[in-house]
Amino acid sequence: MNKREFLVQLRKGLSGLPQDDIEERLSFYSEMIDDQMEEGFSEEQAVAAAGPVDEIVKQAVAETPFVKIAKKRIKPKKRLGVGKTLLLVLGSPIWLSLGLAAFAVVLSLYAVLWAVIICLWAVFVSLGACAVGGVLMSIVQAICGNGDTALVMLAASIVCFGLTVFAFYGCKAATKGCFMLTREIAICVKRCFIKKEEA
Amino acid sequence: MDVQLKRGLLDVCVLAAIKNGDSYGYKIIKDMKPYLEMSESTLYTILKRLELSGMLTVRIAEHGGRLRKYYHITNAGLGRIEDFKNEWREVMSIYQFVVKEDDGNE
Repeated sequence: MNKREFLVQLRKGLSGLPQDDIEERLSFYSEMIDDQMEEGFSEEQAVAAAGPVDEIVKQAVAETPFVKIAKKRIKPKKRLGVGKTLLLVLGSPIWLSLGLAAFAVVLSLYAVLWAVIICLWAVFVSLGACAVGGVLMSIVQAICGNGDTALVMLAASIVCFGLTVFAFYGCKAATKGCFMLTREIAICVKRCFIKKEEA
Repeated sequence: MDVQLKRGLLDVCVLAAIKNGDSYGYKIIKDMKPYLEMSESTLYTILKRLELSGMLTVRIAEHGGRLRKYYHITNAGLGRIEDFKNEWREVMSIYQFVVKEDDGNE
C-alpha cells in the first residue's frame, strides 16, 4: 500500500469523527510517513510502520467521546425541506415513542447486567457475614456449654470463609468483565453511528 | 502492568524525549526505541493528551518543503518529570526492601 492509498483508507475509516480530528490525524500520519521516507525507508515500509488502518480507526473511535460523534451525526448536512420537516413532525408520535422504547429496553438490559453483578457482591458480603457470625456464635455456644453445636458452627463458618474467598475472585472477574463489555458496547455504538454516516 | 501505571510511564517517557529540545513525532519514536517500543497511534494519543493537559505545546514549522509539527515541553511538563523522579525514588526504596526480604527468605 502506498501513502496515498493509506491516507484515503484512513480518511474513509475515520469519516464519522469530527472533521478537525480527521484532518489532525491524517496530517500526523502523513508527516510520520514522510519523515521515515526521508530517513531512507521505502514508502511501503513507512506505511506498514503506521500499523493496520482498522486498528488505527478502532483506537481513534474508542478515544473520541460519544457526544462528539453524535453531534456530527445529528448535524444535518443540508437544511431539510418543508415536506420532510412536516413528515418528521407528524411522524414523531411513532418514531419518537419507538425510539424511546428501544432505548428503554437496551437500558433495562444493561441495568439487569449490573444488577447481577450487585447480587454477586451481595452473596460475597453475606458469606463473609456468615463466616464472622458463625465464629461468634460458636464462641457463645462453647461458653454456654454446647460443645457439639459450637463445633458444627465453627466448621460451617470455616466453610463460609472459604467460599467468601472464592466468591471474591468470581465477583472481581465478573465486574471486570462487565466494565470491558461496557467499553466494547460503547465502541460498537460509536461505530454504528460512523457506519450510518458512511452509508 | 497496571493500565494507569503504564499510561503514566508512557506520558513521562514522551516528555523526557522532548525535555532537551523541541522534537517531532518520528524523532520521538526513534529516540525512545532503545528503551521502549511505541506504536504511532499510541504516540498520537499521548501527544494529544499531553497537549490538552498543558504539558507541551505544538508549533508548526516548514521542513524540506512541507510542514512538520514540533513539540515543546512546558513548565508543567518539566514539573511532571520531577514529580515522577521523586515518586520513583520512593518506589525504588520499597522495591529494595521487597527484594531484600525475598533474599532473606531464600
